[in-house]
Amino acid sequence: MNTPDSPLIKVENLSLYFPVGSSFFQRSKSHIHAVDEISFSIPLGRSLALVGESGCGKTSTGKLLTRLVDPTGGHIYLRGKDGSLADLAALKGDELKRFRRRVQMIFQDPYESLNPRLTIFDTVAEPLLVQGLGSLGEREEMVARLLEQVGLTPASSFLFRFPHELSGGQRQRVAIARALVVRPDFVVADEPTSMLDVSIRTGVMNLMMELADQLGLSYLYITHDLAVARYTSHELAVMYMGKIVEHGETEEVLANPLHPYTQALISAVPAPDPAYQRPAPAIRGGISKPIDPAPRCRFYERCLRAAQTAGGDPVCRENDHPRLEDKGGGHFAACYKV
Amino acid sequence: MNNTLLALKDLTVEYKTRKGYVSAIDGVSFDLQYGESMGLVGESGCGKTSIAMSLLRLMPENAIVRRGEILLDGQNILQMDERQVREMRWARISMVFQAAMNALNPVYRVGDQITEAMHQHRGDLPPLQARARVEELFQLVGIDAKMIDRYPHEFSGGMRQRAVIAMALACSPSLIIADEPTTALDVIVQDQVLRELRRIQAQLNMSMIYISHDIAVIAEVAKKIGVMYAGRMVELAASGDIFHTPRHPYTAALMSAFPSIKGPKTRLVALPGEPPDLLYPPQGCRFHPRCSRASEICQKQTPPFETIQPNHWVACWNPLEARA
Amino acid sequence: MNTSLNPSLRLYEPLWRIRLRNTWKSLQDNWVLFAENKIGLVGLAIILFYALLAALHPILIATVWDEKIYDPFIGNDPRIYNHPSPPSQDHLLGTDPMGRDILSQLMYSTRNEFVLGFLAAAITVTIATSIGAMAAYFGKWVDTIFMRIADLMNILPFIALLVVLSAFVRMNMWTLALVIGVLSGFGGATIIFKAQALTIMVKPYIEAARIAGGSHWHIIFYHIVPNLMPLAFLNMMFTVTGAIFTEAALSFFGLLNIRVSWGIMIYTTQAAGYMLRSIEYWYLIFPAGLSITLLCTAFYLIGRAMDSVVNPRLRRR
Ligand SMILES: Nc1ncnc2c1ncn2[C@@H]1O[C@H](COP(=O)(O)OP(=O)(O)OP(=O)(O)O)[C@@H](O)[C@H]1O
Ligand SMILES: Nc1ncnc2c1ncn2[C@@H]1O[C@H](COP(=O)(O)OP(=O)(O)O)[C@@H](O)[C@H]1O
Ligand code: SF4
Ligand code: SF4
Ligand SMILES: [Mg+2]
Ligand SMILES: [Mg+2]
Repeated sequence: MNTPDSPLIKVENLSLYFPVGSSFFQRSKSHIHAVDEISFSIPLGRSLALVGESGCGKTSTGKLLTRLVDPTGGHIYLRGKDGSLADLAALKGDELKRFRRRVQMIFQDPYESLNPRLTIFDTVAEPLLVQGLGSLGEREEMVARLLEQVGLTPASSFLFRFPHELSGGQRQRVAIARALVVRPDFVVADEPTSMLDVSIRTGVMNLMMELADQLGLSYLYITHDLAVARYTSHELAVMYMGKIVEHGETEEVLANPLHPYTQALISAVPAPDPAYQRPAPAIRGGISKPIDPAPRCRFYERCLRAAQTAGGDPVCRENDHPRLEDKGGGHFAACYKV
Repeated sequence: MNNTLLALKDLTVEYKTRKGYVSAIDGVSFDLQYGESMGLVGESGCGKTSIAMSLLRLMPENAIVRRGEILLDGQNILQMDERQVREMRWARISMVFQAAMNALNPVYRVGDQITEAMHQHRGDLPPLQARARVEELFQLVGIDAKMIDRYPHEFSGGMRQRAVIAMALACSPSLIIADEPTTALDVIVQDQVLRELRRIQAQLNMSMIYISHDIAVIAEVAKKIGVMYAGRMVELAASGDIFHTPRHPYTAALMSAFPSIKGPKTRLVALPGEPPDLLYPPQGCRFHPRCSRASEICQKQTPPFETIQPNHWVACWNPLEARA
Repeated sequence: MNTSLNPSLRLYEPLWRIRLRNTWKSLQDNWVLFAENKIGLVGLAIILFYALLAALHPILIATVWDEKIYDPFIGNDPRIYNHPSPPSQDHLLGTDPMGRDILSQLMYSTRNEFVLGFLAAAITVTIATSIGAMAAYFGKWVDTIFMRIADLMNILPFIALLVVLSAFVRMNMWTLALVIGVLSGFGGATIIFKAQALTIMVKPYIEAARIAGGSHWHIIFYHIVPNLMPLAFLNMMFTVTGAIFTEAALSFFGLLNIRVSWGIMIYTTQAAGYMLRSIEYWYLIFPAGLSITLLCTAFYLIGRAMDSVVNPRLRRR
């Protein structure tokens, strides 16, 4: 099923730029490269985790894939029922509305992602309502069944409550139910567990994985937490300043990170072992905004590998941002020095 | 030799709300030695911040101290008068607040804000001396002294957090309380802040209480760890013991629910249920509705917080065996 | 996975009944919050008192009050020679310069005041929520146009505008309500509602609705407008106050085509030359003047008390 030639979703040179400092009278000349010509694909039934520091473009990527924002450039292909790929970036009107049934999203903050004035039933049934699916009775039953599936049992005691009557974990389960009610095959989950406590987070993570197996879902699982990524995805992509710098099987990337940024990221994760003296991550400086980035490796300023040569490695200094290349066995990295 | 800086004895605090009393801290006891670093770990709402606020006598108006004492060098903080409290705050105990880095005032220079904090708690310093002290503090937390005259928005998140730490260190307190100081930061920045904190704590031989919901972070900064659940401390021991031989079922459950990037990928075990609403805490052991080891007594009687082996306290009727 | 259908999945209760119960419950909860604020209860008591006055009028006319004497427009008491006459057994608040019973006029007018106030407020709020939500949602030129209109309305002095307008059209209660409603609906209120709508716009549930495939109108009227409702009720209370006041002011200048209202009662006094003549004629002005003040204050108080229901930050814990 997961042969690489049958991707569910395929992204090519996708970009999203935001103008900075523009006003009514003046068109801006500078842009934030929130997402900068990224390419990846997700095979059917597999999940990809997207990790990186705050502001690196994870949420923007998620919003592009759900068509909440229009791309500055590039293509997003979704596999049709017959196996052909259709470009989403061009969809409009009714086509776009029908596409919505296949791609859904789960948001980070369960306290903000549910309308406080709608009951749980209304929230979960909303996609059915706007898509015109099912009669009222059928919708009731679909919603109730789904609530039980996401662990809100008995459904009848949840259906007509309001979000403020539920805990954070329960709300996030409601949000999952809303995303799944139209039976999508691709779900963008933007930090779905980062606001939840450990003892509840694991339950929600496990639930999401079980549902993926049962329903044959693929996730784009956005997180800043590598450990969460490890438990929720088959593949891992690391983003830095709008670029994907490394991509491969999750276990492989975590065990043998190739890109210096990934290496730093992994070595910065606190070790849950008091006896272990974790070495300092090999990185310098801090993250900056990708405003009109210079045409060279985005990581150059912070890269200790490039700094080994006095005055900076000429290859890294003189050339454009390195391409994301297969360094063997489907493990991609964007670095000249691998 | 008495080396105890701080002793909490049976501290019990409730908040009065329109719906009733929230039992936020219930019978918490622990000691802290001079120069010792302790971690407080627990889920949100379990009372960590409430403990920190009580230590500084900064409880909100609706807080009611039911029982207990907080002894700082043998003196009960809860019985201090206004003047004593003012002298104690910042000079003896200071705090880095949750989300403190957003609390810097955007319209004042960072250096001036630190000077202001010093003035408030230590009286006037001659300007030159104050300036020298701020430079010293900046150096201590690893910020370039050139940044003294800059505004908060010119600082990155990590630098802001360090500036807040510098402010907390301004009056050389003997105890610093850090309430989730790195929760809003990215891992790489978090790593830098944690390293600075650890270094400073050792260098100044200061005591520290580090509060977090993340046991991995706690493991890196604290020599001993107190685990909180629903307003109570359920286990207290040296970090190594908490990690390798947890005796309380909740601590053990936390460990097996915690994802890690190292070691074999084992299935994470989720805890059933949710933490209780502290308006209506369960009878007996507050963990009993979620506990796999619960027996009849657990539902009726609160387990005492007792030593189970030297320097290891647990509140449980059926503690786990110490693994060999 | 449990595939057998759990019996609890069928709802035996019809949806409308569940919704009714939910609404009732939230009303109760809000009432508790509202009632905590004593000024709100005072306001409510005053309003109930006036509502009672309004309701009693037709009953009194039908039962104890002789229509010839007590009619608010043409009544006259032939037993009294000199009008205005001070309060007496038959006329608790006296009679006006044209011999009509003041209490009867006062009670009759109350209904008008309510109708005017609520109608104006309802129109204001309907317009302001819709436009505020649309301006926030669509932004760009929709926003620009409506905001410039709002600015214009804000700059123009409200009462002066109405004075000019009434020179062209003689307004009655209904048209006045409409005019006040439209003017304040497009004016300041829009800006308030837009500001609130903007804070709703950025919530993830709006994005979730878009991802579900919801249309612009679905999002505006299913998500944004309902979340503006608390603010709308609040705003209504203040608009009622404004409308009653405006009516009084315009009537006082004799600019309205209304036969009787509190404002007209004062106008009549003034036109007949009894205004400020002597304290002796207090009963001509005082009841109507006090009523205007009281009712306006009452709605204002209710608004203030509602504020603490709508704005959780103002709530006592
Ligand atoms: N609407 C916008 N206008 C301008 N800039 C934006 C906008 N949305 C995002 N950005 C910028 O684009 C970049 C990527 O943002 P994005 O939200 O995708 O980051 P993220 O990786 O999801 O971060 P986080 O982990 O904090 O959620 C950031 O520099 C951000 O400031
Ligand atoms: N001012 C307050 N009034 C009422 N309840 C409060 C107040 N502050 C905290 N609480 C409640 O007390 C409990 C403990 O809160 P807190 O100490 O902030 O927990 P933590 O820091 O561990 O997240 C929670 O149930 C919280 O909701
Ligand atoms: S290409 Fe050069 S600068 Fe970029 S990450 Fe690799 S070594 Fe560092
Ligand atoms: S006292 Fe009982 S319920 Fe509580 S943790 Fe121990 S075994 Fe579990
Ligand atoms: Mg994000
Ligand atoms: Mg806290």
